[in-house]
Amino acid sequence: MKPHYLQRGLIYVVLLLAAYISVFPFFWMIVGSTNTMADILKGKTSFGNALTNNITHLLEQVDLPLLFWNSAKIAVIATALTMVISSLAGYGFEIFKTRMSERVFALLLAMLSIPFAAIMIPLFITMAQLHLINTHMAVIIPTVASIFIIFYFRQATKSFPSELRDAALVDGLKEWQIFLYIYLPVMRSTYAAATIIIFMANWNNYLWPLIVLQTNETKTLTLAVASLLTAYTPDFGMVMVATTLATLPTLFIFFALQKQFVQGLLGSAK
Amino acid sequence: MKNAFSRRSVLGAALAGISFLGATAAFAGTTVTVWCWDKEFNGATMKEAGARYAKAHPDVTLNVVDFAKPDMEQKLQAQLASGTTDGLPDIVLIEDYGAQKYLQSFTKAFEPLSDTKAIDYKTFANYKVALATVGDKTYSLPFDSGVSGMFYRSDYLAQAGYKSADLQDITWEKLIEVGKAVEAKTGHKLLDLDLSDQGLLRIMMQSAGIWYFSPDGKPAIAGNAKFKTVLSTYAKVLQSGIYKPVSGWAEYTGTFTSGETAAAITGVWMTATIKANKDQSGKWSIAPVPKVDGVEGAVHASNLGGSSWYVLASSKNKAAAIDFLAQEWGKDADFYQKILVNQGALGSFLAARDGEAYKASDAFFGGEATWQNFSTWLGKIPGVNYGTFTNEADAAVSAQVPALVKGGSVDDAIKAIDAQLKQQMQ
Amino acid sequence: MAQAPNKRKTDLTGWWFTSPALILLSLFLFYPIVSSLWMSLQIGKGMNLSFGGFANIYRLTQDPVFIHALLNTLTFLVVQVPIMITLALLLAVTLNDSKLWGRSFFRTAIFLPCVTSLVAYSVLFKSMFAADGVINSFLQTLHVISSPIPWLADPFWAKIVIILAITWRWTGYNMIFFLAALQNIDPSIYEAARIDGIPAWARFWKITLPALKPVILFTTVTSTIGTLQLFDEVNNIPTLGGPADSTLTLSLYIYYLSFRFMPSFGYAATVSYVIVALVVVLSFLQFLIAREKQTS
Repeated sequence: MKPHYLQRGLIYVVLLLAAYISVFPFFWMIVGSTNTMADILKGKTSFGNALTNNITHLLEQVDLPLLFWNSAKIAVIATALTMVISSLAGYGFEIFKTRMSERVFALLLAMLSIPFAAIMIPLFITMAQLHLINTHMAVIIPTVASIFIIFYFRQATKSFPSELRDAALVDGLKEWQIFLYIYLPVMRSTYAAATIIIFMANWNNYLWPLIVLQTNETKTLTLAVASLLTAYTPDFGMVMVATTLATLPTLFIFFALQKQFVQGLLGSAK
Repeated sequence: MKNAFSRRSVLGAALAGISFLGATAAFAGTTVTVWCWDKEFNGATMKEAGARYAKAHPDVTLNVVDFAKPDMEQKLQAQLASGTTDGLPDIVLIEDYGAQKYLQSFTKAFEPLSDTKAIDYKTFANYKVALATVGDKTYSLPFDSGVSGMFYRSDYLAQAGYKSADLQDITWEKLIEVGKAVEAKTGHKLLDLDLSDQGLLRIMMQSAGIWYFSPDGKPAIAGNAKFKTVLSTYAKVLQSGIYKPVSGWAEYTGTFTSGETAAAITGVWMTATIKANKDQSGKWSIAPVPKVDGVEGAVHASNLGGSSWYVLASSKNKAAAIDFLAQEWGKDADFYQKILVNQGALGSFLAARDGEAYKASDAFFGGEATWQNFSTWLGKIPGVNYGTFTNEADAAVSAQVPALVKGGSVDDAIKAIDAQLKQQMQ
Repeated sequence: MAQAPNKRKTDLTGWWFTSPALILLSLFLFYPIVSSLWMSLQIGKGMNLSFGGFANIYRLTQDPVFIHALLNTLTFLVVQVPIMITLALLLAVTLNDSKLWGRSFFRTAIFLPCVTSLVAYSVLFKSMFAADGVINSFLQTLHVISSPIPWLADPFWAKIVIILAITWRWTGYNMIFFLAALQNIDPSIYEAARIDGIPAWARFWKITLPALKPVILFTTVTSTIGTLQLFDEVNNIPTLGGPADSTLTLSLYIYYLSFRFMPSFGYAATVSYVIVALVVVLSFLQFLIAREKQTS
């Protein structure tokens, strides 16, 4: 009995430590939002009352609703499209394995290793030829077929019971019906995890939107916040508010979807 | 088709951006797009210029788009490298250190303004014109000067027994003495330095009339006695302990504006940042930069940063952009007074120095005629050729700084810097 | 014989599933890659490019900055990835226990770092690890150190800060993948094992780990790729490559070669293919190891 409690206690201590380390910076960011720049630099860790000031200052500097809308538009559309196209591909590569498709997949994995900086300029030229510079589409399209997510879905599909598919085929279901009506519900937790990851990647996407978006009207929130930080006189309080606000949507998506994990457990096929 | 597309999108952007910018409500006509960094400084001066120009030319609207500085440079370089001109602005701000890099890397991308004869370059500080000239063509409208000074907390220095007169004609060695005394008597370190940023070295070099490169663009590091003296002086400062090491721009400015350190040797454009702390009014003063001892012709004047406006050759609104620059930035001395007072922007337009604002004294800096001082120093800055590889040279020096801090040999450092620089230049 | 047309039909269906992705990838990834491959054979500055054959590869061997960046990148890889994957795995297994109180809270807390934006957490780490920052104060109060560590001004400690930053940020991310996979494991298997008297440790090794193998492979490969391409943290936390270029990674060097220095786009492309080569070799090795374990 006793060793069991000790083990439990130890687990809680470790988890609490991990949680504290993980959360403290976020907490510091929120506290910073309520303080003035001078206080933040002095290392103040208590709440102040400069929140309204900081928010007002921020609203004067940037068109916050527009930035939010731009970021949201890109993230939502990109995430939805990625879920569809990349999960289809991941399923396809795993279920319909052929010698040829394996070679193609290996090539895809190799392509994952190219750092973005190397393809940035040719990609920019392609977008220019399609007259898509400074559009949100130019930001979305290159991310939609995500090798990373294809890879993830492929690995996850390995634990999709083949008996389910075999049974469905016997029942006369077509392939797309199997995908839609059997695969999707079973793999719900995989979709949930992938959605969180992709939404976050798109929301925080920095380098490519920086290159391809030219005007204040198309800019995303992430870009605007970075711009605030490198001014000659960066106002930390304002930057903190901006980054806190910029973080909220991803947090919200996470909270909304983590329940799916549990539901995935209850609903997963045995 | 392409024309219509970009004109439409630019107009659409201007229309949408009007409420956002709070600019004058001009509708049809030309929109001149400007890219720059720092909304409060560069952006603000551009908007002021735009508003003034609009009075005589109500059909021209200015659209100022701001980015973080390194982001804008990367974005510009990426787009110029791609060869596509879709979406490029009409006017872009480029920092002086990088001017030659852009002009020589992307030769056809910029409009040689000297060809238009709209701008009289003799009315601008010589060193600014030289750095934007390739062959016999000049490409820029010179903007702010980075003429440097030593901003210091007069209250801390007074506590340590130093008055303004004591700091007028000093060497770096003397500065080290001052720094040690200040720390002993007040507990505040004199300076703060980001050891990955070689701004201080650049100030020293230009004040001594040299640069990493000789006028013909070749590296002037190895076998250059003047460079060795400058680097040795820099090493002395690094080893002196009179500074607090910091990392990053925000920490750098935050440290002296909060009063943690006593001084900052930097460009005049830092004035706005310092003056933003209104409660410190009267506690600051400005001295000339120390002189490098042992180099003939070294002066108490130098430059850090500074930038200029360039017109893209691909611009559809070239004529309007050039006329705007020539009329406002090239002739309007009153405009320069305004941006001096409001943004602390010291232009390179020589005639502006006769204006009222430039002669005024500033209570913030203890009633000194700050701008006058800077103007005087501006005239003394030795002109040097920044060349195209300044960033590479900075990186080569940064690689050796930790060794120098620990007291390593200057000769070894010079050898290593020279080797790395030559490697990068190939 | 009836098999053949069916198999062909199945294969074709497979391509239908994968073709949207493949078309997009050939246009927006494959073509730029081929373009940059051609670029890697070019030498010259800015747009004054000329064919150089293998000149860039030769330049790699002569370039001390490249060697330094390569060593830095490999150091980060070898130290950071194993630590992070192990941590993520242990945390996921711990949090998968349905009897644990506050699971939701811990799970959210540990994932939070992934959500914090790059700008925010760079500012944060820079200030926490400043010479007079929170971390030094904390360590000094605990008497672990006697004088403040110059974190970002020292070549060794700057690397440590980066490793801590990456681990802090991405452990929760990998933990999510493990959690999702764990929840796909049928709990009745564990019940049966417990009834059979198999201890917890053995249950972990014999049931959990094998079931997680695909996901472990996935996270290891992707973390390897991510670390080999490390850019965001090293670009934003230390200044300009860190003290004495101690935090200069290959990706950061590519960025400098393209955008900070006088552009050498050809050479930059060559350096990026070094990253590709490393990734291919390491991923191949990892796949091999995974397959071996399967057959044994």
